[in-house]
Amino acid sequence: MKLAKYTKFREEKFGGVLFETRAEKVFSLNPTAAAIVRAIGSGCDEAALIERLQQRFADSAGALEGEVRTFIADLRSQGLLED
Amino acid sequence: MAITSVVAQAAVPDTTPAATGSGDLGAPLYIAWQVTNECNLACLHCIEESGPGKAFRDELSEEQIFAFLRQVVELEVPYLSFSGGEPTLHPLFFPMVEYVCARKAQLKIETNAHGLTAERCERLKRVGVKAVQVSLDGASRETFNRIRVRGDFDRATEGIRNLRAAGVPVEINYSPTLFNIHEIGRAVDLACELGADSFYSGRTMYTGNAVKTWHRLAPSEEQYEKFFAVLHAKSREYRGRMRVHFHEMGLLEELRYRLHHPAALLIVLPNGLVKLINALPFVCGDLRRQSLEAIWAHFQRAWQDPRVAQFVADLDADPTRTATLHQWVYL
Repeated sequence: MKLAKYTKFREEKFGGVLFETRAEKVFSLNPTAAAIVRAIGSGCDEAALIERLQQRFADSAGALEGEVRTFIADLRSQGLLED
Repeated sequence: MAITSVVAQAAVPDTTPAATGSGDLGAPLYIAWQVTNECNLACLHCIEESGPGKAFRDELSEEQIFAFLRQVVELEVPYLSFSGGEPTLHPLFFPMVEYVCARKAQLKIETNAHGLTAERCERLKRVGVKAVQVSLDGASRETFNRIRVRGDFDRATEGIRNLRAAGVPVEINYSPTLFNIHEIGRAVDLACELGADSFYSGRTMYTGNAVKTWHRLAPSEEQYEKFFAVLHAKSREYRGRMRVHFHEMGLLEELRYRLHHPAALLIVLPNGLVKLINALPFVCGDLRRQSLEAIWAHFQRAWQDPRVAQFVADLDADPTRTATLHQWVYL
């Protein structure tokens, strides 16, 4: 899993931006979303990413894994990630 | 921060660089650089008044060019375009392209494609340009050659075919005029036949060379209505095969919007001056004397200068004021 060929990520004070340059679409990310995309950019796979977030965030309801998977699926559906 | 905010944020509708507000960003998302004003053609509608022998006397030197590109990379500007004039005529064209692409910024070239031999297209592919946008203002030789003085339809289409053969993504740009507005449907079809990924169009601007030829060029509002109706239909017809983009908004409408929502992009002229937006005469920086970071910091304030709002208000009363876009006003 990695950022798609035409996707660029940049850190910002508010979190980050993802720019899909082929369709010329911009996505604003909050700090948490930016942290996930940064981890993906550094080569982290989905399971390792979830484990890392579970250590960082309280997840008493056990919802974290599903939410991260949904987020990643959303990024994929927008063409922002590829394998 | 709750993790659920990630999912909520992901569902926020996407936007475009032009629609993205610049206020909170640390750097532009897009830099459109007119690398030279020199051109091998002398198109009737050229908004930059480019042509043979029209290079600015003070275009950036090699040292200034690479100092600028270094800053683009350092600020992580994700997207850059080289236009002109005709950018491929610049003596440092390939070194500039290679510098940008090797540092992972994404680059689009805007060209008339007349100089795109098979060998040059293969080099563009190897370097990794994101796309090449070709101006193809006609679906026939007669129409194209009439608008693009010194231009040749066959050379332009050959350049496009060379790009596709090399595997370079192609975008087509189409400027409507009285000569070619009736060919829009066929032009979109031709773009797809040539293997284009995208087709762009919008209203032709009253500035540059078009000021002198406006009486021969300007379509009527009725013609524009039919033109955009065809583009809407073509957009549906080619969905999934080729993106058809077009801007129906008139210039004044767009400028009124921009006064409150400056886009996250900078327009850089061949001599390093930086404009607020192409359709206004205002300059907000000079790359020969200022850093890109300093110019970006000034960009927001410059949009608030009362002269900008006044120019837009004056444009409402007198649309021909766009004829003065090349008389730069420093903010």
